[in-house]
Amino acid sequence: MNTPAPPRRGIRGGRSSAARVRARGGRRTTAVAVLVGAVVVAGAAGPWLAPHSPTEVAAAPFAAPDTAHPLGTDHLGRDVLSRLLHGGPPVLLTTTLATAVTVVLGTTAGLLAAFVAHRRPRAEGVVMRPLDALAALPPMLALLLVLTSVPSRLGVVVAACVAGVPLSARVVRAAALPVLHRPHVELAVARGERWPWVLRYEVLPLVATTVLADAGLRFVFSLYLVGAAGFLGVGMTGTDWGTLLHEALPGAALQPYALLAPLVLIAVLAVGVNLLSDTLTRPRAEE
Amino acid sequence: MRADTARYVAGRLGTAAVLLAALSLVVYAGVDLLPGDPASARLGPDATPEQLAAARERLGLNEPLAQRYLEWAGGLLHGDLGTSANGTPVAGMLAGRLGNTAVLTALTILLLVPLSLLLGVALGRRAGSRVDGTGSTLLLLTTAVPEYLVAGVLALVLGAQSGWLPATSLVPAGDSPLVHPEVLVLPVLSLLWVSLAYATRVIRAQTLTACRAPHVEAMRLNGIPERAVLCQGVLPAVLPAAAQIWLVTSAGLLGGTVLVEIVFNYPGIGKVLVTSVSTGDLPVVQALAMLMGALTLLATIAADVVGTAVGRTRSV
Repeated sequence: MNTPAPPRRGIRGGRSSAARVRARGGRRTTAVAVLVGAVVVAGAAGPWLAPHSPTEVAAAPFAAPDTAHPLGTDHLGRDVLSRLLHGGPPVLLTTTLATAVTVVLGTTAGLLAAFVAHRRPRAEGVVMRPLDALAALPPMLALLLVLTSVPSRLGVVVAACVAGVPLSARVVRAAALPVLHRPHVELAVARGERWPWVLRYEVLPLVATTVLADAGLRFVFSLYLVGAAGFLGVGMTGTDWGTLLHEALPGAALQPYALLAPLVLIAVLAVGVNLLSDTLTRPRAEE
Repeated sequence: MRADTARYVAGRLGTAAVLLAALSLVVYAGVDLLPGDPASARLGPDATPEQLAAARERLGLNEPLAQRYLEWAGGLLHGDLGTSANGTPVAGMLAGRLGNTAVLTALTILLLVPLSLLLGVALGRRAGSRVDGTGSTLLLLTTAVPEYLVAGVLALVLGAQSGWLPATSLVPAGDSPLVHPEVLVLPVLSLLWVSLAYATRVIRAQTLTACRAPHVEAMRLNGIPERAVLCQGVLPAVLPAAAQIWLVTSAGLLGGTVLVEIVFNYPGIGKVLVTSVSTGDLPVVQALAMLMGALTLLATIAADVVGTAVGRTRSV
């Protein structure tokens, strides 16, 4: 789908316009990266920045924002900002762990599938079919199914892997297959290198951009599931952002900030990482 | 050509049956192999061994796995969705609610198809213009926003704060939500929002490619009116891909409905599903997982058949 677009000609000037567009694209990417970085840093360092404990009753319930409580208080009178800051690490850690495991497993399966498809096309089904079966399960149901049995953060990570690995494997396989036909790979094989070595040192570096862009999408996807688990009130506990949404929903008319604050944080993180991943795969000319 | 297509469809259905069997194994046996078990997970660390044994007995966890799996899968083949942990048949628990969820999804798809086509083609034809630039950026921003966030904002702004539309979907028991159309607006809007962004992005990209194709350029150079170029040159190239993306998006909606239903308290399967998860009622979740998995597979096959029928490459 992402074939490089033919160079745009004429209409609004030649190279200078293209260069300007590219510079603007670069600036936008930087701005997005800074925004995502800010959310990540605030989320990670949250517990040390928070003015109150997440469980301390600090004021009357549903108090409006003021200087002491910039985002007001929730239905039990707890400081919304503090709860939000305390919720950062669990969300970020769970999402990052789920992303890392998914990408490692997915990339391995994808490279393996490409290798088998290259060497023994008939046997490829052994790798891809089980993943196809998993891919048929809608991610939300994978999440709920795993959480029924393992109602914990571990369950959320397992579910993100179950739902994400088939997609990652497919993307990596598609990117790696053409690389396997390249001369330097054939040369390495002719040299007598072992296949795992070839895949690791001759193929993987050439699909690294694909893997990185896919990692971005997996992060967004894992964040979606982590948020959803908290939002549904299953699996995640404490003050993570999804759970805050879950708690704030019934009283949203009285205290909208308790709902909006975690919502904005999840949205900024998801949209930002998605944009960054998109700039990786987008050919320069189309920007 | 027709016999060929028939053979292809039959082949795909065969593969789907195998995939479904594999999925049932994952959904039943795979969950059994997970470290937790529904009995101990729900009773907590304070449960006495007798309570645990009773719970395991009640959930039927003491029989061998293979036997339980075969009974369950055999039941599914006969349309028996199994029995929930508290003894009621799963089919009965889902009966009315499955229909309500179907109404929600169907309405969303009905709106998604024309809207995404119109928007996608309109943006794709103006590729590179300011309108397209803004539109595409907005779409890219929207695709990553989870639908439960959209639903949350809509419930807050259009529901709770302004009171224009009901923030909770109160449907009297036994009534179809179609009798109370006002409760459907916000849930459908939330579901539509994200799926529309995704489908429009794909259709826009397809239109862009189609507009640059040699045959379209030849039509333009021959002085054929723009309207005819659009209808006979661009749309035929866009529609097959659009149909595929509509089918894929519809399959994707199945998961999103659960979350949106929870936001608006809509009487669909979402509520049953979440209650079952938090009480460890595995049979209900397993039955729904199989049902949704089968629907997803059907949608994928339909997408592939549409694709091959017009000569595009198969996705599997």
